[in-house]
Amino acid sequence: MNSIGVCRFSASYVSVAFAVILGSLSPHSCFAGDCAQGLTTEERVAKFKVLDQQAEQAMHAHRVKEAIDFYQEAVCLVPKSARGLYGLGVAQAAAGDFLNAREALQAADSLMPNTPTPLVMQVRVNFSLHDVDALKGNLREAAERFPKDAASHKTLARFLAEKNLFVLALAEALRAEQAGSGDMNAKVQLAGLENAVGAHREAVRNALSIEQDPGPVGEVRASAAGIAGLSYESLGETEQAIDQLEKAIKFDPKRDNSYLALADLFDQLQKHDEAVRVLRSARENVPGSEAVLLPLGADLIRTEHYSEGVRLLHEVLRKDPQASEAYVGLADAARRTGNGAQEVEAGENLARLNPEYPMVHVLLARAMLAVQPANYQHVFEELSVAEKQTPGDPEVFALKGKTLFALGRYAEAVQPLQRAIELNALDPSTYYQLARVYQKLGKTDLAREQFERVKYLEASRQK
Amino acid sequence: MRDHFAPAAVHLDEWRLRIEGRVAKPFELSFSDLVESPSITLEAVMECAGNLANGSAVSNGIWEGVPLSALLDRTRPTKEAAFLMLEGADSGRLIEKAPVLPYSQLVPIEKGAEASSMVAYKLNDLALPMRNGFPARALFLGWYGMDSVKWLRRIVVLSAEDREAAFYKSGMTSLYNRVVRSGSAESVTRLSTVQVKSAIAWPNENSRLPAGRHVIWGFAWTGTSGIRDVAITLDGGKEWKPTRLEGAASSYGWVRWSYNWEAKTGDHTLMSRASDRLGNRQPVKRDAGRKDQYELNWCLPIQCIVR
Repeated sequence: MNSIGVCRFSASYVSVAFAVILGSLSPHSCFAGDCAQGLTTEERVAKFKVLDQQAEQAMHAHRVKEAIDFYQEAVCLVPKSARGLYGLGVAQAAAGDFLNAREALQAADSLMPNTPTPLVMQVRVNFSLHDVDALKGNLREAAERFPKDAASHKTLARFLAEKNLFVLALAEALRAEQAGSGDMNAKVQLAGLENAVGAHREAVRNALSIEQDPGPVGEVRASAAGIAGLSYESLGETEQAIDQLEKAIKFDPKRDNSYLALADLFDQLQKHDEAVRVLRSARENVPGSEAVLLPLGADLIRTEHYSEGVRLLHEVLRKDPQASEAYVGLADAARRTGNGAQEVEAGENLARLNPEYPMVHVLLARAMLAVQPANYQHVFEELSVAEKQTPGDPEVFALKGKTLFALGRYAEAVQPLQRAIELNALDPSTYYQLARVYQKLGKTDLAREQFERVKYLEASRQK
Repeated sequence: MRDHFAPAAVHLDEWRLRIEGRVAKPFELSFSDLVESPSITLEAVMECAGNLANGSAVSNGIWEGVPLSALLDRTRPTKEAAFLMLEGADSGRLIEKAPVLPYSQLVPIEKGAEASSMVAYKLNDLALPMRNGFPARALFLGWYGMDSVKWLRRIVVLSAEDREAAFYKSGMTSLYNRVVRSGSAESVTRLSTVQVKSAIAWPNENSRLPAGRHVIWGFAWTGTSGIRDVAITLDGGKEWKPTRLEGAASSYGWVRWSYNWEAKTGDHTLMSRASDRLGNRQPVKRDAGRKDQYELNWCLPIQCIVR
């Protein structure tokens, strides 16, 4: 069953009353097919009820195709049954038959114009159909027909946010607010959406009003303060961001996300000691939080607490062997402590788990070159992968040239070094390397030319 | 980014866009109404009319918004409708002695009815930043930025005879005009379409480079027809060479270009020159008859020292 599952079915289905069935049984309105031949009105209603019940049971048991069959028979008996059509639409959607589901839901909606349920369901179906225009049409219709139905607009906002349609979610959250949803959770949702779409000033405004309201519980105020913190961060107002995130922690010390956001902000400001302080506090107050381990391990390494940091990162890997970021921290620790072999090992594990990790093959090649004796074959293999991934990275070619030089293959080293210069003409170290290659080849004039360029570039930098 | 007045602080729950004037059905939209309407998404350059030859008052982005034509259709303009006056929420004194009035612009209704004209609410998939006109702005692709009114709050449909005070008393008619003197005659025409232009992004003015291979690169853009080609000179204009356009040139967006240069020792004067699909070519020098400070699109020389 797809995302339009049984749970949503149950919650919405009960709101479609049986009363609508009877209203649709007038001789004029229904044109029963073969399924209803020979049956009296009472018999049709009775049979409908049985089928409806069977369909509901089938849906709860995840027997969706069976449910569809029951609903189709029910609708055949009573073609203008809003309940039957709605149930059919939901079952078809659950089976992934979105086009037919949409048709059934549109028919149900026309029979029950005072209930938003079929319209709300159509939004979900149109999302599954990737039909944004039709989805927007549903939202406009919901706004026109049910402007004061805060609950429906809130439901739509939540759904759209789950599907990352944040601007549309914001539109619905605003409608819910204007319809008087009244509750603080809705206001938090609104502020969160404003932050998500980049309307940071609005997010701050709404979040601060929640925070300053004496009514809400700590958890709600923490969410509001957290949103304000993230918005201030996006606006570049770091002092206010820090202040708000610290408040978020104070309002609800048992939630790890505020600690993580604050630590991340300190890391961006290169204040890793502060980040460590915050994350240690998170470990104390939220001892079960696994999300804290990796950033704390990485920050401990940045602040030279190597053994504690390495121990934490190994703990991360024990809990989650696929946590490739932990290897980034381990490689960092190994490089800082001059342990080349461990750096290579961490880099190899990272490359194995996440071969697309930015620059992993270049970093690995560099680490391999620092280990003596170097395994040049492996270095070339890594640089070959790096070149395919990032053909415009000058360091790939500079390292290739350096490796060939180390192997004494001077003539071969010229071309990759020239390519590195083409890609970055302003790095004196590459000209220096090329000069040494030319020296080894006995091309003293060319060597002198490159040394001149080194001097020229270094002089230009000092200007 | 350029503003005429202090940016307006507009709140989403209070913002409305009203469309009125010479229409049968004036109406008002909330932000929710706007973003739930059918929308279009287009890549476009936004340039200030006074952007310098090597200026930074230009950018490229992906804009999403509601076609202005759809909003106008809904209002049913009367047969006298000839112009749109667009009014923003920011206000001030545009010129000395003018009263404090909202920023406004007057645009022919035909431009408003073009498929690409929109009321934009997203830039690069996020809500418009405040300085870009949050929550919504007009957007007239291919035209200079002054007409794409930010913090849009009202559109008034006017006849040719109407003289809406917000626009005419503000002093706006004295700005954004192309003034060309030829002998004793002077012609004044209103600016609109962005003139073809290119800029060298690298190397910078007075760069000192080592001899060898370098990649010179930059951007080129024009009003509505798309860039056809960009040429470069390394000797102050004696010889022009073709550059490579990177990616397809869209009608309204800019295109990046590059040139592989085997730089020889010496002092070099670099210039780039764009041409568009309508045959317009970037001028090497400013027209001496121009008496205004707009459309500064001549080829700007970049001095480069190679050793």
